Amino acid sequence: MTSAKFEIDVKEIQPTEVEAALDPAEADGVYRDSRECAALALAGGEGSVLLSPPTPRPKKG
Amino acid sequence: MEQSGTSTPLTGAVQDLASEVVSALRSGGHSRVVRGATGIDGDDGITVAAVRILGPDVLLPSILLRTTPDTEDVALFEKAVTGFPPPPNASPASVWSHWAMTQALRRANASGGAYADGVPAGGEEPRTTWLEDASWQFLTHQLAVLGGLATPDGTSAVARIAARRPVDVARGFVRAVRRRDWLQAAAAGRWLVTLDGVPETLGLDAGLDFVDLMGGGDPRVALHLQAARLMRAGERG
Repeated sequence: MTSAKFEIDVKEIQPTEVEAALDPAEADGVYRDSRECAALALAGGEGSVLLSPPTPRPKKG
Repeated sequence: MEQSGTSTPLTGAVQDLASEVVSALRSGGHSRVVRGATGIDGDDGITVAAVRILGPDVLLPSILLRTTPDTEDVALFEKAVTGFPPPPNASPASVWSHWAMTQALRRANASGGAYADGVPAGGEEPRTTWLEDASWQFLTHQLAVLGGLATPDGTSAVARIAARRPVDVARGFVRAVRRRDWLQAAAAGRWLVTLDGVPETLGLDAGLDFVDLMGGGDPRVALHLQAARLMRAGERG
Protein backbone atom coordinates (compact mmCIF):
# COMPACT_ATOMS: atom_id res chain seq x y z
CA MET A 1 0.00 0.00 0.00
CA THR A 2 1.27 3.47 -0.82
CA SER A 3 0.53 4.66 2.65
CA ALA A 4 1.52 8.30 2.26
CA LYS A 5 -0.79 8.89 -0.68
CA PHE A 6 -3.53 6.84 0.91
CA GLU A 7 -3.47 8.86 4.10
CA ILE A 8 -3.95 12.03 2.08
CA ASP A 9 -6.82 10.52 0.11
CA VAL A 10 -8.61 9.30 3.19
CA LYS A 11 -8.67 12.83 4.52
CA GLU A 12 -11.26 13.57 1.84
CA ILE A 13 -13.69 11.61 3.97
CA GLN A 14 -14.85 12.59 7.41
CA PRO A 15 -14.57 9.56 9.71
CA THR A 16 -17.80 10.67 11.34
CA GLU A 17 -19.53 10.27 7.99
CA VAL A 18 -18.31 6.70 7.75
CA GLU A 19 -19.28 5.92 11.34
CA ALA A 20 -22.74 7.37 10.81
CA ALA A 21 -23.22 5.22 7.75
CA LEU A 22 -22.13 2.14 9.66
CA ASP A 23 -24.69 2.65 12.39
CA PRO A 24 -27.67 4.45 10.91
CA ALA A 25 -30.59 5.30 13.13
CA GLU A 26 -33.90 3.72 12.33
CA ALA A 27 -36.04 6.26 10.53
CA ASP A 28 -39.70 6.81 11.19
CA GLY A 29 -41.90 4.26 9.51
CA VAL A 30 -44.42 4.90 6.80
CA TYR A 31 -47.22 2.40 6.81
CA ARG A 32 -48.31 0.54 3.76
CA ASP A 33 -51.26 1.51 1.65
CA SER A 34 -53.86 -0.49 -0.21
CA ARG A 35 -51.74 -0.61 -3.36
CA GLU A 36 -49.03 -2.45 -1.47
CA CYS A 37 -51.55 -4.78 0.13
CA ALA A 38 -52.80 -5.71 -3.29
CA ALA A 39 -49.27 -6.22 -4.55
CA LEU A 40 -48.51 -8.46 -1.60
CA ALA A 41 -51.56 -10.55 -2.26
CA LEU A 42 -50.43 -11.02 -5.85
CA ALA A 43 -46.84 -11.71 -4.88
CA GLY A 44 -47.51 -14.40 -2.36
CA GLY A 45 -50.50 -15.85 -0.77
CA GLU A 46 -48.69 -17.81 1.89
CA GLY A 47 -47.74 -14.73 3.83
CA SER A 48 -50.56 -14.95 6.28
CA VAL A 49 -48.74 -12.95 8.89
CA LEU A 50 -47.83 -10.24 6.43
CA LEU A 51 -51.42 -10.01 5.27
CA SER A 52 -52.84 -9.59 8.74
CA PRO A 53 -54.22 -6.15 9.61
CA PRO A 54 -51.58 -3.49 10.12
CA THR A 55 -50.65 -2.41 13.58
CA PRO A 56 -52.12 0.90 14.77
CA ARG A 57 -50.14 3.98 14.03
CA PRO A 58 -48.38 5.33 17.09
CA LYS A 59 -50.20 8.22 18.69
CA LYS A 60 -48.36 11.47 18.91
CA GLY A 61 -48.50 13.79 21.81
CA MET B 1 -40.23 3.74 4.92
CA GLU B 2 -39.04 4.94 1.62
CA GLN B 3 -35.30 4.92 1.42
CA SER B 4 -33.69 8.24 1.97
CA GLY B 5 -33.63 10.48 -1.02
CA THR B 6 -30.60 12.39 0.19
CA SER B 7 -27.43 11.47 -1.58
CA THR B 8 -23.81 12.38 -1.13
CA PRO B 9 -20.82 11.24 -3.18
CA LEU B 10 -20.16 8.66 -0.50
CA THR B 11 -23.66 7.23 -0.43
CA GLY B 12 -23.62 7.19 -4.21
CA ALA B 13 -20.37 5.25 -4.19
CA VAL B 14 -21.82 2.76 -1.72
CA GLN B 15 -24.84 2.28 -3.97
CA ASP B 16 -22.64 1.77 -7.02
CA LEU B 17 -20.52 -0.72 -5.16
CA ALA B 18 -23.57 -2.62 -3.92
CA SER B 19 -24.89 -2.71 -7.46
CA GLU B 20 -21.67 -4.27 -8.65
CA VAL B 21 -21.80 -6.91 -5.92
CA VAL B 22 -25.35 -7.76 -7.00
CA SER B 23 -24.17 -8.05 -10.57
CA ALA B 24 -21.38 -10.39 -9.52
CA LEU B 25 -23.80 -12.51 -7.51
CA ARG B 26 -26.25 -12.74 -10.39
CA SER B 27 -23.67 -13.48 -13.04
CA GLY B 28 -22.01 -16.24 -11.12
CA GLY B 29 -19.14 -14.19 -9.81
CA HIS B 30 -17.21 -12.19 -12.36
CA SER B 31 -13.79 -11.53 -11.03
CA ARG B 32 -13.79 -7.83 -10.26
CA VAL B 33 -16.26 -6.19 -7.96
CA VAL B 34 -14.83 -2.86 -6.89
CA ARG B 35 -12.95 -2.16 -10.07
CA GLY B 36 -15.98 -2.86 -12.19
CA ALA B 37 -18.30 -0.46 -10.42
CA THR B 38 -19.52 2.51 -12.35
CA GLY B 39 -19.00 5.78 -10.59
CA ILE B 40 -16.09 4.36 -8.65
CA ASP B 41 -12.68 5.35 -9.74
CA GLY B 42 -9.55 3.79 -8.40
CA ASP B 43 -8.65 3.71 -4.75
CA ASP B 44 -9.45 7.25 -3.69
CA GLY B 45 -10.79 8.00 -0.25
CA ILE B 46 -14.42 7.80 -1.26
CA THR B 47 -13.99 4.37 -2.80
CA VAL B 48 -12.13 3.05 0.24
CA ALA B 49 -14.76 4.51 2.55
CA ALA B 50 -17.52 2.94 0.45
CA VAL B 51 -15.83 -0.44 0.80
CA ARG B 52 -15.63 0.06 4.56
CA ILE B 53 -19.35 0.91 4.71
CA LEU B 54 -20.45 -2.02 2.59
CA GLY B 55 -18.15 -4.14 4.71
CA PRO B 56 -17.70 -7.88 4.30
CA ASP B 57 -20.34 -7.98 1.57
CA VAL B 58 -17.77 -6.60 -0.87
CA LEU B 59 -16.24 -10.08 -0.87
CA LEU B 60 -19.58 -11.89 -0.66
CA PRO B 61 -19.50 -13.23 -4.25
CA SER B 62 -16.33 -15.16 -3.51
CA ILE B 63 -17.91 -16.62 -0.38
CA LEU B 64 -21.30 -17.59 -1.79
CA LEU B 65 -20.06 -18.62 -5.21
CA ARG B 66 -16.82 -20.14 -3.99
CA THR B 67 -14.67 -18.17 -6.38
CA THR B 68 -11.31 -16.54 -5.82
CA PRO B 69 -11.65 -12.80 -5.19
CA ASP B 70 -9.82 -10.40 -7.45
CA THR B 71 -6.45 -9.49 -5.98
CA GLU B 72 -6.97 -5.77 -6.52
CA ASP B 73 -10.35 -5.97 -4.82
CA VAL B 74 -8.71 -7.68 -1.87
CA ALA B 75 -6.01 -5.00 -1.76
CA LEU B 76 -8.65 -2.29 -1.69
CA PHE B 77 -10.60 -4.20 0.93
CA GLU B 78 -7.45 -4.30 3.01
CA LYS B 79 -7.06 -0.55 2.65
CA ALA B 80 -10.56 -0.10 3.97
CA VAL B 81 -9.78 -2.29 6.97
CA THR B 82 -6.60 -0.44 7.80
CA GLY B 83 -7.79 3.02 6.75
CA PHE B 84 -11.01 3.10 8.72
CA PRO B 85 -10.54 1.25 12.00
CA PRO B 86 -13.30 1.81 14.56
CA PRO B 87 -12.54 4.90 16.64
CA PRO B 88 -12.46 4.58 20.44
CA ASN B 89 -16.10 5.62 20.75
CA ALA B 90 -17.29 3.51 17.83
CA SER B 91 -20.71 1.94 17.85
CA PRO B 92 -20.96 -1.84 18.29
CA ALA B 93 -22.15 -2.06 14.69
CA SER B 94 -18.98 -0.36 13.49
CA VAL B 95 -16.78 -2.58 15.64
CA TRP B 96 -18.52 -5.74 14.49
CA SER B 97 -18.46 -4.69 10.86
CA HIS B 98 -14.73 -4.11 11.10
CA TRP B 99 -14.22 -7.46 12.81
CA ALA B 100 -16.22 -9.19 10.06
CA MET B 101 -14.04 -7.51 7.46
CA THR B 102 -10.90 -8.80 9.13
CA GLN B 103 -12.40 -12.28 9.07
CA ALA B 104 -13.29 -11.96 5.39
CA LEU B 105 -9.82 -10.66 4.64
CA ARG B 106 -8.26 -13.57 6.46
CA ARG B 107 -10.28 -15.99 4.36
CA ALA B 108 -9.41 -14.13 1.18
CA ASN B 109 -5.74 -14.20 2.03
CA ALA B 110 -5.80 -17.77 3.28
CA SER B 111 -4.12 -19.08 0.18
CA GLY B 112 -1.82 -16.12 -0.05
CA GLY B 113 -0.27 -16.26 3.38
CA ALA B 114 0.75 -13.31 5.44
CA TYR B 115 -1.19 -10.27 6.46
CA ALA B 116 -0.21 -6.78 5.55
CA ASP B 117 1.17 -4.66 8.34
CA GLY B 118 -1.49 -3.09 10.48
CA VAL B 119 -4.27 -5.51 9.59
CA PRO B 120 -5.47 -7.26 12.72
CA ALA B 121 -5.49 -11.02 12.50
CA GLY B 122 -9.23 -11.12 13.13
CA GLY B 123 -8.91 -12.73 16.50
CA GLU B 124 -11.13 -12.18 19.49
CA GLU B 125 -14.73 -11.30 18.83
CA PRO B 126 -16.10 -7.97 20.03
CA ARG B 127 -18.55 -7.97 22.89
CA THR B 128 -22.26 -8.59 22.41
CA THR B 129 -23.58 -7.08 25.61
CA TRP B 130 -25.44 -4.39 23.70
CA LEU B 131 -27.49 -7.07 21.98
CA GLU B 132 -27.99 -9.63 24.73
CA ASP B 133 -31.27 -8.31 26.11
CA ALA B 134 -32.34 -6.23 23.14
CA SER B 135 -35.99 -5.79 22.28
CA TRP B 136 -37.02 -7.62 19.13
CA GLN B 137 -37.32 -4.30 17.31
CA PHE B 138 -33.83 -3.17 18.25
CA LEU B 139 -32.43 -6.63 17.65
CA THR B 140 -33.79 -6.64 14.11
CA HIS B 141 -32.51 -3.15 13.42
CA GLN B 142 -29.02 -4.04 14.59
CA LEU B 143 -29.00 -7.36 12.75
CA ALA B 144 -30.07 -5.52 9.61
CA VAL B 145 -27.22 -3.05 10.01
CA LEU B 146 -24.94 -6.08 10.35
CA GLY B 147 -26.54 -7.99 7.49
CA GLY B 148 -23.09 -8.78 6.14
CA LEU B 149 -22.61 -11.23 9.00
CA ALA B 150 -25.50 -13.34 7.72
CA THR B 151 -23.59 -15.88 5.67
CA PRO B 152 -23.78 -19.66 5.42
CA ASP B 153 -20.60 -20.08 7.40
CA GLY B 154 -21.28 -17.21 9.77
CA THR B 155 -20.29 -18.38 13.21
CA SER B 156 -20.09 -15.07 15.03
CA ALA B 157 -21.54 -14.34 18.45
CA VAL B 158 -24.03 -12.04 16.70
CA ALA B 159 -25.17 -14.97 14.56
CA ARG B 160 -25.54 -17.10 17.67
CA ILE B 161 -27.76 -14.48 19.27
CA ALA B 162 -29.87 -14.36 16.11
CA ALA B 163 -30.09 -18.15 16.12
CA ARG B 164 -31.63 -18.05 19.58
CA ARG B 165 -34.36 -15.64 18.50
CA PRO B 166 -35.80 -16.65 15.11
CA VAL B 167 -39.34 -15.68 16.06
CA ASP B 168 -38.22 -12.23 17.13
CA VAL B 169 -36.34 -11.73 13.88
CA ALA B 170 -39.44 -12.89 12.00
CA ARG B 171 -41.48 -10.29 13.89
CA GLY B 172 -38.89 -7.71 13.00
CA PHE B 173 -39.10 -8.69 9.36
CA VAL B 174 -42.85 -8.20 9.33
CA ARG B 175 -42.52 -4.89 11.13
CA ALA B 176 -39.96 -3.67 8.62
CA VAL B 177 -42.25 -4.59 5.73
CA ARG B 178 -45.12 -2.75 7.32
CA ARG B 179 -42.94 0.29 7.87
CA ARG B 180 -41.78 0.12 4.27
CA ASP B 181 -38.21 -0.11 5.49
CA TRP B 182 -37.12 -2.25 2.56
CA LEU B 183 -33.45 -2.27 3.49
CA GLN B 184 -34.16 -3.54 6.99
CA ALA B 185 -36.71 -6.03 5.67
CA ALA B 186 -34.28 -7.41 3.10
CA ALA B 187 -31.49 -7.76 5.63
CA ALA B 188 -33.80 -9.35 8.21
CA GLY B 189 -35.01 -11.75 5.53
CA ARG B 190 -31.41 -12.61 4.76
CA TRP B 191 -30.81 -13.41 8.42
CA LEU B 192 -33.97 -15.53 8.54
CA VAL B 193 -32.68 -17.69 5.71
CA THR B 194 -29.74 -18.62 7.93
CA LEU B 195 -31.87 -19.45 10.97
CA ASP B 196 -33.68 -22.57 12.10
CA GLY B 197 -37.08 -22.32 13.73
CA VAL B 198 -38.56 -19.58 11.54
CA PRO B 199 -42.37 -19.86 11.66
CA GLU B 200 -43.82 -21.39 8.50
CA THR B 201 -46.70 -18.93 8.72
CA LEU B 202 -44.32 -16.09 7.98
CA GLY B 203 -44.29 -16.91 4.28
CA LEU B 204 -40.67 -15.84 3.96
CA ASP B 205 -40.30 -16.54 0.26
CA ALA B 206 -43.39 -14.53 -0.59
CA GLY B 207 -42.24 -11.81 1.75
CA LEU B 208 -38.84 -11.59 0.08
CA ASP B 209 -40.53 -11.40 -3.33
CA PHE B 210 -42.67 -8.56 -2.04
CA VAL B 211 -39.68 -6.67 -0.69
CA ASP B 212 -38.03 -7.12 -4.07
CA LEU B 213 -41.12 -5.80 -5.81
CA MET B 214 -41.31 -2.73 -3.64
CA GLY B 215 -37.70 -1.97 -2.80
CA GLY B 216 -35.53 -4.04 -5.10
CA GLY B 217 -34.51 -0.98 -7.08
CA ASP B 218 -32.19 -0.01 -4.25
CA PRO B 219 -28.89 -1.87 -4.82
CA ARG B 220 -28.36 -2.44 -1.10
CA VAL B 221 -31.80 -4.01 -0.83
CA ALA B 222 -31.10 -6.09 -3.91
CA LEU B 223 -27.80 -7.24 -2.44
CA HIS B 224 -29.44 -8.68 0.67
CA LEU B 225 -32.19 -10.28 -1.39
CA GLN B 226 -29.76 -11.87 -3.80
CA ALA B 227 -27.68 -13.16 -0.90
CA ALA B 228 -30.83 -14.60 0.67
CA ARG B 229 -31.82 -16.29 -2.58
CA LEU B 230 -28.42 -17.85 -3.09
CA MET B 231 -28.32 -19.11 0.47
CA ARG B 232 -31.87 -20.41 0.15
CA ALA B 233 -30.92 -22.23 -3.05
CA GLY B 234 -27.87 -23.71 -1.36
CA GLU B 235 -29.98 -24.82 1.55
CA ARG B 236 -32.42 -26.63 -0.75
CA GLY B 237 -29.83 -27.95 -3.13
